Amino acid sequence: MIEKLLLKLRARDAVSDAEAAALRSLIGEVREFPARHTVIRKGEALDQSLLLLDGMMCRYKDLRNGRRQISALHVAGDFLDLHSFTLKRLDHDVMSLTPTRVGIAPHARLRQITEELPHLTRLLWFSTNLDAAMHREWELSLGQRTAVARAAHLLCELHLRLDVVGLARPQGFDLAINQTELAECMGITAVHMNRVLKELRELGLATVRNKEVVIHDLDGLKRLAEFDPTYLYLRQQPL
Amino acid sequence: MPRFYFHIHNGNGFARDDEGTDAPDRAAAEALATKGIRSIVAEEALGGMIDLTGRVEIRDAEGHLLTTVRFAEAFELRTSG
Repeated sequence: MIEKLLLKLRARDAVSDAEAAALRSLIGEVREFPARHTVIRKGEALDQSLLLLDGMMCRYKDLRNGRRQISALHVAGDFLDLHSFTLKRLDHDVMSLTPTRVGIAPHARLRQITEELPHLTRLLWFSTNLDAAMHREWELSLGQRTAVARAAHLLCELHLRLDVVGLARPQGFDLAINQTELAECMGITAVHMNRVLKELRELGLATVRNKEVVIHDLDGLKRLAEFDPTYLYLRQQPL
Repeated sequence: MPRFYFHIHNGNGFARDDEGTDAPDRAAAEALATKGIRSIVAEEALGGMIDLTGRVEIRDAEGHLLTTVRFAEAFELRTSG
């Protein structure tokens, strides 16, 4: 059940059998959600964190006029709100983009890990730091990259993150989110997104269609995006 | 909610919308087209070029043309003081 999480953590540091067992017993209950369901509402009191087991989710914030900014996408193996362990309520919502399965990690058990397993605690700390690194890269995209480079960057990032947990193909990956949601990741409109995807296709880089991304030229996509995966910290480093 | 398809014709050629977007009614679909045009032109303006010669065709699921929003209609233009 926590295999994707283990793949994600072990891409960065060793996880002992005892630590893996602790992560397994961390998950008390598994819940399923349909696509487009708000799983955590901003401001509600939380005494558990959620681990995404299957599917895709996002973090978002919105304005009163309905304009929504998706600030992060989550793939299987990601904690959706490990930060709620210390924050106790979120400043953003968490929504499923596809049908999803989620493992529930009670904060009381997380607290036990912090008291008994210092190395595993550091791994979980790393994981929230990694979230922050991805947010910074997202900020760079939103503030400085052109829309087409922004889209290219997101595809490069998702391809690599999904590859870490065994869900990517050399030439692409499944992406069951719609044009509006993709646009909300990029801070543009769905109509503009259509034009951006057409540009990626015409440049011979990637085709996004029918819930699938087909990458035609990964190196070209990375060049356009100025994709430097350093911020994903995919190297073995004893914590 | 009905689904609308927003096909873009402009200086960059034709971008066909295969997926469509749900909207409550045609007026809401026109508002989406207007926002989309503004978003595209804003991005192009950053590159130093403004091309208002394009149009967005809004079609229904059967491919019938419902209405056309021209890029120029999405803006109030002031070019002299």
